[in-house]
Amino acid sequence: MDEVKYSEEELVRLLNNKDQQAFSYLYDNYSAILNGTIYKMVEDAALAEDILQEAFIKIWNNFASYDPMKGRLFTWMLNLTRNLTIDTLRSKGYRKQQLISSDENSVSNLADQNSIASKYDVIGLKKQVQQLKPELKNIIELAYFYGYTQDEISKEAQIPLGTVKSRMRAAIIELRKLVE
Amino acid sequence: MDTKEIILSGILEQYVLGATSEAENAQVVAWAIAHPEIAQEIAAIQHALESFAIANAIEPKASTKAAIFAKINEHSSAKQAPVINLIESDTPVYTISNKWKMVAAVSIGILVISSALNVFYFNRYNNVNENLAVTKQALANEQAMAKEFKSNWDIARNPNNTLVSLKGLETNPDATAKIFWFQQTGEVLIDASNLPNTPTGMQYQFWAIIDGKPVDGGLIITNDEGKKYRIQKMKSFGKAQAFAISLEKAGGNPTPTTVVSLGKII
Repeated sequence: MDEVKYSEEELVRLLNNKDQQAFSYLYDNYSAILNGTIYKMVEDAALAEDILQEAFIKIWNNFASYDPMKGRLFTWMLNLTRNLTIDTLRSKGYRKQQLISSDENSVSNLADQNSIASKYDVIGLKKQVQQLKPELKNIIELAYFYGYTQDEISKEAQIPLGTVKSRMRAAIIELRKLVE
Repeated sequence: MDTKEIILSGILEQYVLGATSEAENAQVVAWAIAHPEIAQEIAAIQHALESFAIANAIEPKASTKAAIFAKINEHSSAKQAPVINLIESDTPVYTISNKWKMVAAVSIGILVISSALNVFYFNRYNNVNENLAVTKQALANEQAMAKEFKSNWDIARNPNNTLVSLKGLETNPDATAKIFWFQQTGEVLIDASNLPNTPTGMQYQFWAIIDGKPVDGGLIITNDEGKKYRIQKMKSFGKAQAFAISLEKAGGNPTPTTVVSLGKII
């Protein structure tokens, strides 16, 4: 990859002007993360890349709808990708039930092949995330990868909503400690 | 709500996860602007979740990037004219995505094919209907004929009939006919199908010879094929010694002029 580094503001301005070089930079920096997120949800490498492709085309075409006031660029892309994946899964008739049943032991070895390690300490992060208590990790995965609302988690896992909320917070606080 | 309550409520996590409503989003943004602690908290949550995502990163195939760039270049000419994006138009421009264009094209295609098939099947339906009518008519004819044959056959094989064969006389050796005579009822039926056709203006007349005298038995139709080949009903006779056929002028005569065929009752 080229040496160019963009600040987020620059990147947003360039992408609003349909700058393909900036888009290329965006792809190089985020495609592996988004792809991993999608893969976690669909557990099908080919389908994941199809959705990834669609997600980036959407990011490119709908970039004007990104509002920096509402949050970081990465969060926006992540939400867009996640929603697209959920839509795809629903249109393909997948059920959340299936997703739940397969979430625990499915942390794939594919993640080890990634080459994004140069930019992020993926292996280190992975280890850190693995240290999360299973019930905390699980709750983040349900909410984060599968797009469950806290209400839905409460119903599906038969945990009171209050517990879900406090566990979610605890999980994120825990995660923050681990990655800081 | 004070900032601590907001932070403890869990809504910020929901917000970062994208699980909040539009109204809640607006509320969170308002809080973040008003309270730096909230903004900080949101940033920290985002950072934590990003780490979570990064921990699961998987490098996509190299071809995926190429495919994306091929798609965006196929779709937009914006790169050639980025200035256009800066011009704000007052009237909204409605564009139809290629997907829907494709759907429309396919729909029209299906409609055209469907219409063509309608015409095709309608014609075929008409033809079939015509054929059906023809077949029905043919069947009705066959049935009528079969009924006719059956009734003729019933007459011929009826054990109560007396069969009288009329033989042609020397002058008209071909003039033969068969008479079925039901003596109990006096009914007389004739099969005239072997009689030669009469010359124009002439007609066969049927006679019963009773006590040596010819008694008129009615006219025989021979020049109408439909009738000639069916058994014809003559006048009834309770008794007779012989039956005869003579050739007469059309309409018949009170007494026979030229007898052509004769059969005695044994």
